[in-house]
Amino acid sequence: MPVILKASLGFLWRHPWQLFLATLGVCIGVAVIVAVDLANASSRIAFLQSLESITGDATHQVVGGPAGIDESLYVDLRRNRGIDSIAPVVESDALIGERSFTLLGADLFAEQALRDYEFATAEADVDANGRSVFTAFLVTPGSVVMSEQTAADLGLDVGSGFELTVSGRRQAATLVGTFADGGTLAGYILADIATAQEWLDQPGRLTRIDVRLDEDEVAAFRAALPDDVRLLDAEGRTRSTLEMSDAFMVNLNAMSLLALLVGLFLIYNSASFSVLQRRPLLGILRALGVTRGQAFVLIIGEAAVLGLVAGALGVLLGIWLGERLLFFVTQSINDLYFRVAVTSVTISQFTLVKGLAAGFIASIVAAAVPAIEAAASPPRLAMARSALEKETGVAVPRIAVAGIAVLALAFLTLVLSETSLIAGLVAVFLLILGFAMTIPWIVLRLTRVLAPLARFAGGVPARLAVVDIGTSLSRTGVAIVALAVAVSATIGVSVMVDSFRGSVQAWLERTLSADIYFGLPGGGLDAGLVDAATALPGVSAYSTTRRALLPAADSSTRVIAIRMAPDGYAGIDILDADPDSVWPAWEAGNAVLVSEPYAYRNRVGPGDTLTLPTDRGPVDFDVLASFQSYDVNGSGVMMSRRTYDRLWDDSRVDSIGLYLADGASVAGVVADVEALGGRYEQDVFVSSNADIRDLSLSIFDRTFIVTNILYWLAVGVAIVGILGSMLALQLERGRELGLLRALGMTPGQLGGHIAFQTGTIGAISGIAAIPLGIAMAWVLIDVINRRAFGWQIAMDVTPGFVIAGLGLAIGSALVAGAYPAWRAARTQPALAMREE
Amino acid sequence: MRWLALALFLLAAPSANAAEEERSELAALLDADNEAFPRATEPRPFVFPDDHGPHPEYRNEWWYVTGNLEAASGRRFGFELTIFRFALAPGIEASPSAWRSNQVYIAHLAVTDPGDERFVVAEKYSRGALGLAGAQASPFAVWIDDWSIRARDPAGERERWQLLAETAEIGLDLELDAQKAPVLNGDDGLSQKSPEPGNASYYYSITRLATAGELRLGDETFRVTGTSWLDREWSSSALGQEQTGWDWFALQLGDGSELMFYNLRLRDGTSDANSAGTYVRPDGEAIHVRRDDVTLTVLDTWDSPEGGTYPARWRIAVPAAGIDVEVTPVMPDQELFTTVRYWEGAVDVSGTVSGRAADGVGYVELTGYAESPE
Repeated sequence: MPVILKASLGFLWRHPWQLFLATLGVCIGVAVIVAVDLANASSRIAFLQSLESITGDATHQVVGGPAGIDESLYVDLRRNRGIDSIAPVVESDALIGERSFTLLGADLFAEQALRDYEFATAEADVDANGRSVFTAFLVTPGSVVMSEQTAADLGLDVGSGFELTVSGRRQAATLVGTFADGGTLAGYILADIATAQEWLDQPGRLTRIDVRLDEDEVAAFRAALPDDVRLLDAEGRTRSTLEMSDAFMVNLNAMSLLALLVGLFLIYNSASFSVLQRRPLLGILRALGVTRGQAFVLIIGEAAVLGLVAGALGVLLGIWLGERLLFFVTQSINDLYFRVAVTSVTISQFTLVKGLAAGFIASIVAAAVPAIEAAASPPRLAMARSALEKETGVAVPRIAVAGIAVLALAFLTLVLSETSLIAGLVAVFLLILGFAMTIPWIVLRLTRVLAPLARFAGGVPARLAVVDIGTSLSRTGVAIVALAVAVSATIGVSVMVDSFRGSVQAWLERTLSADIYFGLPGGGLDAGLVDAATALPGVSAYSTTRRALLPAADSSTRVIAIRMAPDGYAGIDILDADPDSVWPAWEAGNAVLVSEPYAYRNRVGPGDTLTLPTDRGPVDFDVLASFQSYDVNGSGVMMSRRTYDRLWDDSRVDSIGLYLADGASVAGVVADVEALGGRYEQDVFVSSNADIRDLSLSIFDRTFIVTNILYWLAVGVAIVGILGSMLALQLERGRELGLLRALGMTPGQLGGHIAFQTGTIGAISGIAAIPLGIAMAWVLIDVINRRAFGWQIAMDVTPGFVIAGLGLAIGSALVAGAYPAWRAARTQPALAMREE
Repeated sequence: MRWLALALFLLAAPSANAAEEERSELAALLDADNEAFPRATEPRPFVFPDDHGPHPEYRNEWWYVTGNLEAASGRRFGFELTIFRFALAPGIEASPSAWRSNQVYIAHLAVTDPGDERFVVAEKYSRGALGLAGAQASPFAVWIDDWSIRARDPAGERERWQLLAETAEIGLDLELDAQKAPVLNGDDGLSQKSPEPGNASYYYSITRLATAGELRLGDETFRVTGTSWLDREWSSSALGQEQTGWDWFALQLGDGSELMFYNLRLRDGTSDANSAGTYVRPDGEAIHVRRDDVTLTVLDTWDSPEGGTYPARWRIAVPAAGIDVEVTPVMPDQELFTTVRYWEGAVDVSGTVSGRAADGVGYVELTGYAESPE
């Protein structure tokens, strides 16, 4: 074995903790990247796969207004136009217990041309008449087929009956067969189109017609369609659905990079230490004829091996973590964007390679500077420590100046990139990097300010402890930076989430102006129920809401049609026009208000015209103003119910707001509405405005679970870093500590001394983290959120979060310093001094 | 869509034979409902045009049109358009949805082009609902999407129909004029298929329809003339347990007479005693032909490239009617890989009736010789 390798292994063997901590840091960093990638990709792939099996060979869809299309169009296309590569679809939400599904009503004969629903079973005796799957599916009302997995989850066997809620009405269903789909259709329930129409109580209506067209057939087909329907590209619809969640996933990826970034500091840290501690050894090796190049390769090689091993472990940990994260990610996607049922984790080779590469490259990059340093070691003798620290002292201001340049670059990126989310995230990282580079300088300044204070409070040993932090910056600096970055991220994210939550809460309080809300998700409130509920004693006024998606080729528009109650107008926060002039115009003609995110994304504002597809053909609407909305799916246009009724043949109502007369009991009216729901056999959702507010906020909180997990992981990496630094520091100072013991310091005093020092490191990190954290919060709120979701949030820095960040920094440092302190306290003075 | 193919295959089994195992599966599948379907147990009065329309209470029914055509250039073609109707259940619950139906329609379309050795096939499915597919007596029509056979002159004394079918490869637009009145096969239209009572169908034919119109194959359109044959049958029964398939001959002879004969084959290779046919004289008089009246000799066979061996040339003699002819497919490969696999093709007939030359044309259907596609 070459002596150089032996020397390397020997060193690492004698410092296993250092090896372990560096590995752990990289490992967690890589794990977080892999986990987020895995969770994102799995939910995305699950969505794509299920959509792919649902889309089949269809290239286009014929869609109509919110009330769907008349089925006579379908018959006409087949009988008179001879087009047989088309299939009718009736689609709706359906609930089985608490789980929601997409109910697909299909005509299996027509499906042959487009899709392949492969059934797992072709059993006889699937219903009371002993029919086959196929016959029962077509002939027996209520027959459905679902994924094998779904059936198993629900505890249903072929032949068993169960209840299913469609449009708020409970329906008796029988499972007559299962799909052999490997879970891609887990979110779907398939029924015959007749069954679907019966359940939805919408005879004669189709949700859409799926079409398979060759490219040269498209124009002619489109031209032959009546005015009130449109032909859309199926792929485009999938794309626009997925795009809704893009910003969400990009943000998660950015959070995962943060963890790696903190990990990067860690590798740099440990590589630096290993060089630092081996300076004498490296000097001897150089004297023995080891070249500069070989010394460089030694350190880089160590980092490369560490990067690979840690990367591999990180990938494994990431897979485990990803499976746990997936639940939260899909829950958020389901809450916010579209329905996705993920039955398996998709592990792509790309993700694994990316994780491995991230660990490897990060290690190499982080070790590059220490490796250059190692190569620079003069033969034979190590440079004295003091000289090294002096060198560091010179470098610190230079790095700080470079950091300021990076900060300027971050600012420039923000200004020049306008609306790009990716550029916004790049700016965040530049901000962190630039700030991190100035931290050592801040630390130096702070130690100089704190030293006299420490002496005043704790005497010379305290002063020594503080000054020592400054003078041993080459060892402590990186740990402080890592901790500061992690803590600033917690401050930044907490402030952002808290500000966001506050804005949402204020918005909810304003918008939910009615006392009681009831409705059916997806619409279809019974007209009789609506009449009865609005006429209940105690009800003084009411509003109605209908949300309808108008699918379009590029992006779909959601229309919110509202019949306002007199007190409802004040609940809408008009952002860029005079409400007094807006509302009369809004009630009168073809005019709309646009939500703030919609206005941002589509660049429309007061004075613009918006063309929407209506049941009377395309109609131009005046945009009167934009209004505040934090409703992710409310990225749409608001119009008066009167306008809506004039242009669309859709009388459905999704929800009703009831305004109560003075003295009327909320609980009493809620009970009355629930009773009406029972009478009209609709499972309506009835709730007071306070309950809706709570529910909305709990969904909000759920959305940030993943974010929280990610930044806690970054803090975890930082704690590992501090622990490593402190251990290295104390170990290296073994002789010095031995001297202190020999001079009469008790073990307790020595432990306290070290605890004080680590606590101070934590405090300095925390103080340095505060401005960075606030700057991050500002960028997250005003840049990232705006670019990702289009909404504006009032920034609100709660002192509590700043104090908590400081506490977190000190606490983390103390936790990390506990073991080194305990170890140092046990140092036998003589033994420690004899070393070397 | 394997399961659908299987399900329809099983449903189609009564009309075209299936492997034994699958047939008994069919019996198992349909047993519960089966009792509720009416069965053909005794002769019934036939009334036209009413009986050209559907009999939806029976489990299966078909309109089977086959014909031999010739372009002005002398180029030969054969065609088949068959529309099957199946009832999935004896009845159906009332529903506000127009899609709720127990009726299923399947159509097979085939064109034979012996000159180019081409055999083009298409298949359609639909439920009998919303007018997507259906049949009606007055005015007569049976259709699935834009494929149809319908009356051109509903009030006329003889059937004058139009047949339309269109795919990317095939186009048929034909006028069919009946030259003879419908003939009732079997016992006044009750055609017994096995000894078990009710294992029978109601069965009539129009044995000669003068045909003229257009036939398109790919980009080429031909003006064509010729003769067609209509077979109409409805029942609720499957083949008997011992029967494995059938050979069906519809021959239009040069002297103006026609011979229809079906040979029901038994598992042991012999012919079922219920095999039977009808001889229609030039004047339209129909004479029942029993198995023992006919001598059927296979002269040649053809091996399907997909497996299975079909008979490919026959000698058919009916001494009582003075018929002695040889029947030769216009090309060997006229096998359909639709939901059900079978051979149905145009044939040439050469030979004599009562000693006089009476060369003609015809169609032959052969089932139960090969496994159905999955």
